[in-house]
Amino acid sequence: MAEPSDRAGTQIDWEAIERSPEFQELVTRRRRFVLPCTVFFLAWYMAFILVCAYAPDFMGESVYQGLTVGYCYALTQFVMVFGLGLLYLRKSDKEFDPLAERAIEAYADDEGHPGARFGRERAGAPAREARR
Amino acid sequence: MSVLAAVNVEAVVIFSIVLSITLLITYWASKRMTGTSTFYAAGRQITGFQNGLAISGDYLSAASFLGIAGLIYLYGFDGFLYSIGFLVAFLTVMFLLAERMRNAGKYTIADVLSFRLNERPARTAAALGTLSVVAFYLIAQMVGAGVLIQALVGIDFTLAVILTGGFMLCYVIFGGMLATTWVQIIKAVLLMTGIIVMSLFVLERVGFNPIELFNRAEANTTPESTFSLGPGTYLDTPLDTVSLGLALVLGTAGLPHILMRFFTVPNARAARSSVVWAMCLIGCFYLLTTFIGFGARVVLGEAGVEAAGTGGNLAAPNLATALGGGEGTFGGDLFLAVIAGVAFATILAVVAGLVLSASSAVAHDIWSSIIRKGQDSEKEEVWVARVAAATIGIIAIVIAVIGGSGLNVSFMVGLAFAIAASANFPALLLALTWRRFNTTGAVCGVVLGVVSAIGLIIVSPGVWPGADSETGSPIGWTLANPGIVSIPLGFLGCIVGTLVSSERGAERSFHELFVRSETGLGAEKALPGH
Repeated sequence: MAEPSDRAGTQIDWEAIERSPEFQELVTRRRRFVLPCTVFFLAWYMAFILVCAYAPDFMGESVYQGLTVGYCYALTQFVMVFGLGLLYLRKSDKEFDPLAERAIEAYADDEGHPGARFGRERAGAPAREARR
Repeated sequence: MSVLAAVNVEAVVIFSIVLSITLLITYWASKRMTGTSTFYAAGRQITGFQNGLAISGDYLSAASFLGIAGLIYLYGFDGFLYSIGFLVAFLTVMFLLAERMRNAGKYTIADVLSFRLNERPARTAAALGTLSVVAFYLIAQMVGAGVLIQALVGIDFTLAVILTGGFMLCYVIFGGMLATTWVQIIKAVLLMTGIIVMSLFVLERVGFNPIELFNRAEANTTPESTFSLGPGTYLDTPLDTVSLGLALVLGTAGLPHILMRFFTVPNARAARSSVVWAMCLIGCFYLLTTFIGFGARVVLGEAGVEAAGTGGNLAAPNLATALGGGEGTFGGDLFLAVIAGVAFATILAVVAGLVLSASSAVAHDIWSSIIRKGQDSEKEEVWVARVAAATIGIIAIVIAVIGGSGLNVSFMVGLAFAIAASANFPALLLALTWRRFNTTGAVCGVVLGVVSAIGLIIVSPGVWPGADSETGSPIGWTLANPGIVSIPLGFLGCIVGTLVSSERGAERSFHELFVRSETGLGAEKALPGH
């Protein structure tokens, strides 16, 4: 059922894939995007928390009538979440997914499945999972 | 029947409709129950958008809906600060865990850890982390359910807890993840619709000008009010605020019932899009809770504080009554009943997800992998999972009934987030990204995370409310939120445990885990066809 019965998985040379230039490129490029994003959002968020904690009066100052600095800063957090979410979706579709497919190309589609993206990992369930 | 004397008839009708729909779904799902993959992961056939809705349904508890709206009503900005943490947390999930979990895991957090680590200790540690988080979160939700249903519908606390627990068990035991998913999806739709309609009613009062809502909310305070458009009224200890903020942003990435949802989609791509859908829904939801909280401040004013109860939990329902035309009018009663029905569906969806993740830890990790060493049949595992769900559910019902409405709900939810961030998150993240990480590190990290989070809560001022050494914290500990200490300790445990031990194999199998988690090669597949 969930576990395909093929034992071909034991034959996948994981280290070879890991060493391959395609895989290295995927990892490097994704890291180059994800790491700065993670540092940025954590910093922007923790800065918000720190200012709330240690400078509440500044956050309570009015920008325009009842709208305070705190609410403006909070709204940037929403913009950040939506922005980074959509950006990551785009980057992944255009850049990371095709790279990932190339990195595992050698192991895809040997069962003649039409190559729906990621529908093709069939080749590689490791034997340890096929416990039944 | 004195117990049922004050029952709200409209609410009972709406509750019955919600329950009938969910029971029909459970019946439908039970007919499709084919094995562990359906029971734990809905056959991995849930689409990205559906899973986004289900994640929102799994995540937004009654504490988010009624609790945050109530805090905003009472304290203004500080209530909103919670929402920001709850939302930004999904970036942590998206960037660091969602796709990797889907690619490398099967049903539980422990699957990911045990992939490259020594199976029995790694699974035991992960199950400990999962069960600790679920225990506190589940009891908090059950108590919250009892209190709210008692207040909203007029049935007795004990009966309300038993009813909630009964339906929760029904969904999980007969319908597994498939029924739970659809209950969560329906709940998300109900909750979003409810909060949008209510926000429109509120905005209509101020001519659809949000700034005017801010102005009137601030104007509608008295010198005794705690309400403020700036921070510091509810969260008045700076270091505690930072500690809370840290636990919120990292805790979600360690919540087993949320992470489990990523196993229900067909591939990493769907896992990714489901996080973004969830962010959009949850983000909109939290923006709108501000309107509800401010609306309550404008409409109910300072005079409504007492009626809003502990933590302002009843501010939103009371606002609904007022917006519908006031107490005793048909419109008022109906609006209240609708909001009560939404709150009830909210609670049911969350507790079902929690019980399911706990039962998977017991059946899949402890029973099937550790006790039976993988020799059991799939049928046996599903059967054990059902027994585990029933046992966990009954224990939670009993504790909630005995502990009664006096148990502090938000305190326990905070504890659950702190444990998740301190125990589950460091071990998972390092297992997926650090080549050198090993079993000793994982066990040390999880144990240290769980023990330090619970230990610091036990000595915290929340448990010892007094000011002096007689009634105050026995070791003079002043932080209510343990995160700022326990999260670094969780990471430290992982790192030191790894460095002081040496283990063959962990580094070798990292190649496989690394390639799998980054590319999806060899990932678990969806059941064929619908």
